[in-house]
Amino acid sequence: MRALGYIYLVAIFAFIFLPVIVLVLFSFQAGRLPVPPFDGPSLKWYAEVLNDRGLMEALRNSLFVALVSSSIALMLGFLAAQGLARVRLPGSVVMRGLLIAPMTVSYLIIALGLLSLFNGLGFRPSLWATGIGHVVINLPLCFAILFAAMGDHQKNAERAARDLGASELQVVALVTAPMLKPALLAAFFLSITFSWDEFIIAFLLTRFDVTLPVEIWSMLRSGLSPATNAIGSLVFLVSIVILIILELTVFRKSKS
Amino acid sequence: MSSIERSERRTAFAFVAPALLWTLAFFLVPFGAMVLLSLAHLEGREIVQAYDLGNYIKIFTDPSLLKGIFVSLEITMTVTVISVLLAWPLAWIIATQVPARYQRLAIMLAVLPFWTSYVVRSYAWALVLGQNGVLMQWLIGIGLLDAPIQIMATRAATIIGFVHFFVMLLTLTIYANLIQLSPNYARAAADLGASGWQTLRLVILPLTLPGIMTGAFLTFVLCIGDYITPQILGGNNELSMPQLIMLQLGRRGDFPMASALSVVLMALVTLAYAATARWLKMDRV
Amino acid sequence: MKKTSAHAMAASGALLLLATAAQAEGEINALVWCDHTDPALLEPFEQAHDVKVNVKEYEGTAAGLAILDQSRPGDWDVMVIDTVDVGRAVDQGLLAALPGDMGTADFFPELVMADSNGRDGTIYAVTEKFGYNTIAYDKTKVDPADMGDLSILWSDKYAGRIAVYDYYLPVLGLIGLEQGVATADLTADSVESLRDRAYALKANARQVSDVVASQTALATGEVDILIGGGEWVTAVLSAENPALDWTVPSQGALRWSQSIAVLEDSENKDMATEFVKYIVSPEGQARLATSSCYWGMPANRAAGDVLTDDQKAALRWDNQDEYLANSQLYPTPDADLDLAMQDLWTDMLQQ
Repeated sequence: MRALGYIYLVAIFAFIFLPVIVLVLFSFQAGRLPVPPFDGPSLKWYAEVLNDRGLMEALRNSLFVALVSSSIALMLGFLAAQGLARVRLPGSVVMRGLLIAPMTVSYLIIALGLLSLFNGLGFRPSLWATGIGHVVINLPLCFAILFAAMGDHQKNAERAARDLGASELQVVALVTAPMLKPALLAAFFLSITFSWDEFIIAFLLTRFDVTLPVEIWSMLRSGLSPATNAIGSLVFLVSIVILIILELTVFRKSKS
Repeated sequence: MSSIERSERRTAFAFVAPALLWTLAFFLVPFGAMVLLSLAHLEGREIVQAYDLGNYIKIFTDPSLLKGIFVSLEITMTVTVISVLLAWPLAWIIATQVPARYQRLAIMLAVLPFWTSYVVRSYAWALVLGQNGVLMQWLIGIGLLDAPIQIMATRAATIIGFVHFFVMLLTLTIYANLIQLSPNYARAAADLGASGWQTLRLVILPLTLPGIMTGAFLTFVLCIGDYITPQILGGNNELSMPQLIMLQLGRRGDFPMASALSVVLMALVTLAYAATARWLKMDRV
Repeated sequence: MKKTSAHAMAASGALLLLATAAQAEGEINALVWCDHTDPALLEPFEQAHDVKVNVKEYEGTAAGLAILDQSRPGDWDVMVIDTVDVGRAVDQGLLAALPGDMGTADFFPELVMADSNGRDGTIYAVTEKFGYNTIAYDKTKVDPADMGDLSILWSDKYAGRIAVYDYYLPVLGLIGLEQGVATADLTADSVESLRDRAYALKANARQVSDVVASQTALATGEVDILIGGGEWVTAVLSAENPALDWTVPSQGALRWSQSIAVLEDSENKDMATEFVKYIVSPEGQARLATSSCYWGMPANRAAGDVLTDDQKAALRWDNQDEYLANSQLYPTPDADLDLAMQDLWTDMLQQ
């Protein structure tokens, strides 16, 4: 049984890693076409990608949108969870449902809705518009994670702090937030991941300043090249490094 | 109600209000704007508000548009079923067969490709599945195939690209569900004389339904709304709803029709939600 | 605590304000095809004039005009548009008159296209690049002699080895040529008569693909023939895969050409006009002809002095007289015919 299990494990891991391996391998291709036979290794596509003004700008834009939209989503989600977890409000089921609702809708629909609205109001597509869309998709996520993490022991601690004369702000900043640190971090980094990788909202709601996935898409559409492999591999590498650093520092600490 | 309670409620409501307003302004209102737009028409190049169902009637009578609904549903259902079937054993093996201290590592490995860029992932599959791609070369190399078979630019390629992503997602949700189960369930079943297989099928599997259904629903939502994967891998040999929507936007400039198609897409997602709602724990994912 | 929520609201309000802030000075906004996004093309102009050129790609005239509709006056300064569709934009008063002398004296005479680019003696656009939608193929895999006749694409001989370029205008135009219908004669009725032929072509094809997927498919041997292809797909790969070739069959080919124009609502018309002048100058033309997305013949013959011999060979510089004589312009559909053609195309994809 165990042997069978391991065979399955290996097979499915092969499936999961196959495209990544091919992607990375052919980023070192010397020729212009990222298809077999492999004729590298060469680092020239990495040099090209790192010198590509558009790509590097898109990378900065993506980071900016991800950080700003995740911060807003986290703050709004945290406040909402805090509000709904502490007292039973009339209509709280409806409010929870409304807050979660965007999670059950395809991104394309959210994007088209915002595009209709912004067109109607005469707002131009921009990174800000994209950021607004990313808050819409990440707010439910932050809310759900934080709401699930809030429990009785934390409510008691808050009450104790309040009884001892702490202001509402002090309670949230000094009691609630530290107690919820792991959930807050998880929600924040998940939001960043989703925003960082999101395509269709950014595609429909940006104009000149685009995010990385949109830039990669237009790169894909403008010619087959191992440069696409190179930027894909770079993004992967950076994500993995950040993931490992987080795993070794923040999350390990917050667990103990 | 005491005044303390009332003031607590007021504070609590002030906490919830910003998130509610955001959702209202940038989710509900835009959706309303889109529904309104779907009742308009493109005449020449003018958008004329007609408040009629012309676009919807066209969706359900025009064979090409109607087929888009079926293409999307077929692909999405197939992807969801295959992904669950592949992910469940993976999650179960990791949760029960892999030693505890390696489990976190195994899960992280299983979702690692998730961190490649989403647009690039589909492109990578195009490189793998191509006629002269790595997979065909290898299959021919080991003698399993005489000549390459066509996978790229077919529905199969789209499905493979999707399954790859959703196996990762479902493994996570099912694993999270599995490790919450107390080992006592399995022990109790064994004490009562159940075989390993019976325990798995009659005890463990039903207990993981919430994880399966939550993951399956997320798969459905993300899959049916995705444009990139069928566009890169499907070879335009059939069009899914997102592709039809983008065609309306990108080529015809027909916003009203794109909106109407999106509303229909939304309706499909709502149906899927209704079908799985009793297992879903959306605010507990 | 109310303060924080007030901050959040203020921040989101600020987002909206910033989102609509006027564009910075020293920028021009261009609505373009993908060949204009190449930094090698834009940077020399940006440095010479200390200006930033913002570019946004679009696909198909209908979508381009829709983007202009949804924008506000002054959002756009320059537009690249199908030469045959310039008239549609002029009809809607979208384009600004250009100075009389745009250097078209050096152009290939067939490409000045004064009737398309102007109206009543006023010039509204200048042709910048052209090429052919015809048959591209891998000459090591197919018999080049077969490629002289379009109808071979419907035979069993190459079934499953064909890719169709995913753009309805040229490919429906080519199907028309194969049926003996000149592009100028295409009407809503005659388009309908192409339906069966289009379906049959799709049935014989492996895929219907955009620029890159087409290049990929040809270059990697996924398919051996691309209908709708031409120098724009093979030239860019000429160094990698010399086996790729293209020809003009006996029924003729379609000639595509793109024009560049300044928009009437532009608030920076002088700089926009400078940009147009740069694009049609010999240096700009050479860079545009060999831009990274796709190659194509420059409209300005003077670019021949700047292009290398290899580049000219890949573009078939010396065969142009013969090709120009045996090619027809794109269909110029009005809005109704355009929708009819798009509907037919969507139906074909869904077969």
